[in-house]
Amino acid sequence: MPSSEPYNPPKLAERFLRTFCRKELQDEVLGDLYEHYQELRIGNAKWRADMKYWYHVFHFLRPFAFNKKYNSNLMVMYNNYLKFAWRIITKHKAISLMNIVSLSIGFACFIFISIYVNHELSYDQFHDRSENIKRIAIDFMDEKGNRTPDATTPPALAPALINSFEEVGSSVRFMPNWGNKYLLGTSDDKRFFEEELIRTDSTFFDVFSFPFLYGSPNTALDQINSIVLTKRAALKHFGKMEVIGEEITLFRTDDNSTYVVTGVLENIPENSHFTFDYLTRLTFENIDQNWGWFNFYTYVKMNPLSDEVVFENKLQPFYEKQSEGAEYFNMIYSQPLTDIHLKSKLKWELGVNGDMTNIYIFSALGIFVLLISCLNYLNLTIAQSFARFKEVGVRKTFGAHQNTLAGQFVFETILITIFALIAGVAMAQLLFMNLESLIGFEVKLYEPQHLNTLFPAMISALFIGILSGVYPAVHFASFKVATAVKGVINSKGKSLVSMRKVLLAIQFALSAIMICGSLVVYEQLNHLNTKNKGLSTDQVLVLENANKLPNQATLKSELESLNAVSEVGFANGIVGGTNWTTGLGYPDEILMNYIVIDDGLLKTLNLELLAGRNFDKERKSDYEGLKIIVNETGLEQMGYTLSDIGLELPFTVQNDTIVNGTIVGVVKDFHFTNYKSKIQPYAFLARDNALPYAHIKLSTNDLAHSISELETTWNELTGGLPMEYYFLDETFNSLHLEQVKLSKILLYLTTLSILIAFIGMYAIANITIKDQLKEIALRKVLGGSVISVSQRVINKFLVIVLIANIIGLPIAYVLTSSWLNEFAYRITVGIGIFFLAISSTMLVAWLTVGYQSFRAAITNPAKVLKQD
Amino acid sequence: MKGTHLGEFEELILLIVGVLYPDAYGLNIREEVINQSGRKVAIGAVHSALSRLEEKGFLKSELAVGTHKRGGRRKRLFQITAAGKEAIKTNRDLRNDLWSQISDLAWNNNIDAIFRAI
Repeated sequence: MPSSEPYNPPKLAERFLRTFCRKELQDEVLGDLYEHYQELRIGNAKWRADMKYWYHVFHFLRPFAFNKKYNSNLMVMYNNYLKFAWRIITKHKAISLMNIVSLSIGFACFIFISIYVNHELSYDQFHDRSENIKRIAIDFMDEKGNRTPDATTPPALAPALINSFEEVGSSVRFMPNWGNKYLLGTSDDKRFFEEELIRTDSTFFDVFSFPFLYGSPNTALDQINSIVLTKRAALKHFGKMEVIGEEITLFRTDDNSTYVVTGVLENIPENSHFTFDYLTRLTFENIDQNWGWFNFYTYVKMNPLSDEVVFENKLQPFYEKQSEGAEYFNMIYSQPLTDIHLKSKLKWELGVNGDMTNIYIFSALGIFVLLISCLNYLNLTIAQSFARFKEVGVRKTFGAHQNTLAGQFVFETILITIFALIAGVAMAQLLFMNLESLIGFEVKLYEPQHLNTLFPAMISALFIGILSGVYPAVHFASFKVATAVKGVINSKGKSLVSMRKVLLAIQFALSAIMICGSLVVYEQLNHLNTKNKGLSTDQVLVLENANKLPNQATLKSELESLNAVSEVGFANGIVGGTNWTTGLGYPDEILMNYIVIDDGLLKTLNLELLAGRNFDKERKSDYEGLKIIVNETGLEQMGYTLSDIGLELPFTVQNDTIVNGTIVGVVKDFHFTNYKSKIQPYAFLARDNALPYAHIKLSTNDLAHSISELETTWNELTGGLPMEYYFLDETFNSLHLEQVKLSKILLYLTTLSILIAFIGMYAIANITIKDQLKEIALRKVLGGSVISVSQRVINKFLVIVLIANIIGLPIAYVLTSSWLNEFAYRITVGIGIFFLAISSTMLVAWLTVGYQSFRAAITNPAKVLKQD
Repeated sequence: MKGTHLGEFEELILLIVGVLYPDAYGLNIREEVINQSGRKVAIGAVHSALSRLEEKGFLKSELAVGTHKRGGRRKRLFQITAAGKEAIKTNRDLRNDLWSQISDLAWNNNIDAIFRAI
């Protein structure tokens, strides 16, 4: 025993046990638990020991341990509660159903959003000590101090870091496929084009900890000919997972190389910012001293207690020492691995990254919808229980205590919230199934890892259950029994009615904000998609490996002869997918994006020539030297105008001599990056080489037929090379995936929140009109018309909705404007959107209340008045 | 005979009470269960089984004086009764009897061979 002083177990847990446990059992049980707690405290932290203590206490909630007398009484009471709860629910079927449905919608949205947000936040956290892993990035600087953020680094960096910094525990560099396809397989007739191949150092698994199924992370990449596969790749090539020692061949045109499988990994998780299926060693010679080849990504794992700030401050001087003598230096810095997915927006990212702004928006939305539905529930339940004053009066007469009354109400409301929670989980599952392709991962809510996310929903279910039960109970406590039984509403009833209105107003204000938000997002996306894109990617199919054919001209003419094809153009990259850049311009260089194309690409992509001409096959000179077609921004930033087209102009400086070039044509500006950024300069060059990407504009909608036609032609020409293709739309959609996600999810949530507000309005109107049936009847008897009588009721509700809009719309304006500010090209928030928000909420209110008040007004007043 | 049936977990507890004699009480019975069988059980589960066994008359118990280690609280020491011994023995005999009736052929079972024949 290290300590003679005994530890005291949590007092609350002990007291809890005493409340239900049989007297004669208490002593021995508490003794056992006490003794156990002493042992727990020796090996565990206090909180962990406390948790375990509670765990054991909860395990005594078994029939054998219960205090028999207390237990039976309790059961009778709860049976009674249950009976009453059931009666109330079935008596007001419609309202109970609305109650449960609207609350469960709120839970569903909340659960959906919290799982989505948690997934986004969980990127790369599965690595061991992920907080110590950093990516090193180097931003390019030009002589004017312009900075181009860039994720790539030279190969000499990783070995230099581990040698120069004591803070760095291990470092690794890797090179992705850079758009290349590798023909991999076990034999000539069982091989596939693969792009998910990464070449790396043997230290890869010192930094990253992707889980192994077979093989060991310590030795997997020791041999130069070793290859590590993922489960998916192993199953694809071998049909089984245990493939250690098997051989796999990389087929090249000149020679083949064979690798031995040394490890099989689990498939790369969806929350990893880079993916791969094949991992081999880097085999380039003399790259450890190469500081100029920016084709690698560098990651380091810091030693546990090293000072990150000190490391960060030493990076730049260290880097400048390597490139001594240069006039200006690129900027080197580190990024925490776990921040890359949401916060890094560099050039050449390894995948499509998320957006922190969207995470904030989604979290706010999830809470919004939950809030709307909780307010709704609160409002309905309180209004409904208010109508039960007679029952309460009778219960009080028979001696019901204030606490037991509260207990009954809370029991009922918690029962309903639990129903709603269960329905909400089921609904969230439906949402996930609907949006699976959009959010990009599969969720099965019944799997235990989601329990954490369900927890806040459970807490809020309990909380509003208790709140909406306690509030009326406290309210009833002050009732005089006599007045209650007689059914006289006292002055406190009025304050309850006005609170009802306030809650309703808040709901509608939140709905108005959400309607505005989704309209703005929708219009903005629409604006960018249709009016401002500048090129057409519809029905454009990209065929890869087009350069593997002996004769590109044959391929082109064969493809063009097909019925399904209207245009064919070749390029060495994909607009929107490739990021090649170069410095161009004289005397000031600008950063110019470019790809190499043939004479057909502009037409295939529907790029509009503003001036000049397209590349011409007949003019050999178009395919040599610096002859470019440039976009408007490029022309302007190079400092030229439309009148300079066709002239010999200074383009750049190479080895102290000015190199001239010609602008052949100018195309209209077009979007090729994320919609948030401004359009950048873009240039097209022409070369006579075979180009790898064939862009094919299809003329029919019959995709299946067109593709099979293409496949036949491809097979004839290539003699059985696998055909790899995709649609250009996919590439472009991935550029603004985050915005598309936002708009779709927002649409769902807004629809659902309007539905909740609708249900809430309907039910509240229902209850209010029931209270006013006599008033309505009297007015009619005294000569009021159906229209004027029902209008009186409707007006009261319309005023609430109008006030809600007046509060909500300015907030919506501020929120949407700040969102739009992130875009380089944005719409202005017009009055039309506000008008639509006001009119739709008013219409909802008018329809729901109008229908009911009209129905109340046309009933025969005699029927109402003859009651009591 | 309903009521005096000995469940699998109960049998385990009963045996362990015997093993730990004379110092068998809730907490160390649980520890022994974990050590001997590798089954992780809550203290409550053990107490529950003990109280059932006592009700059935397979165990008897007496309270021992409290110690400092237990915060001054008493512990209940358990002991197997004659009926308890009888119950374990019946279970054991039945098991041994059945075991001896299994023919050797059953162990070299050859479902594969049977199917291959088909």
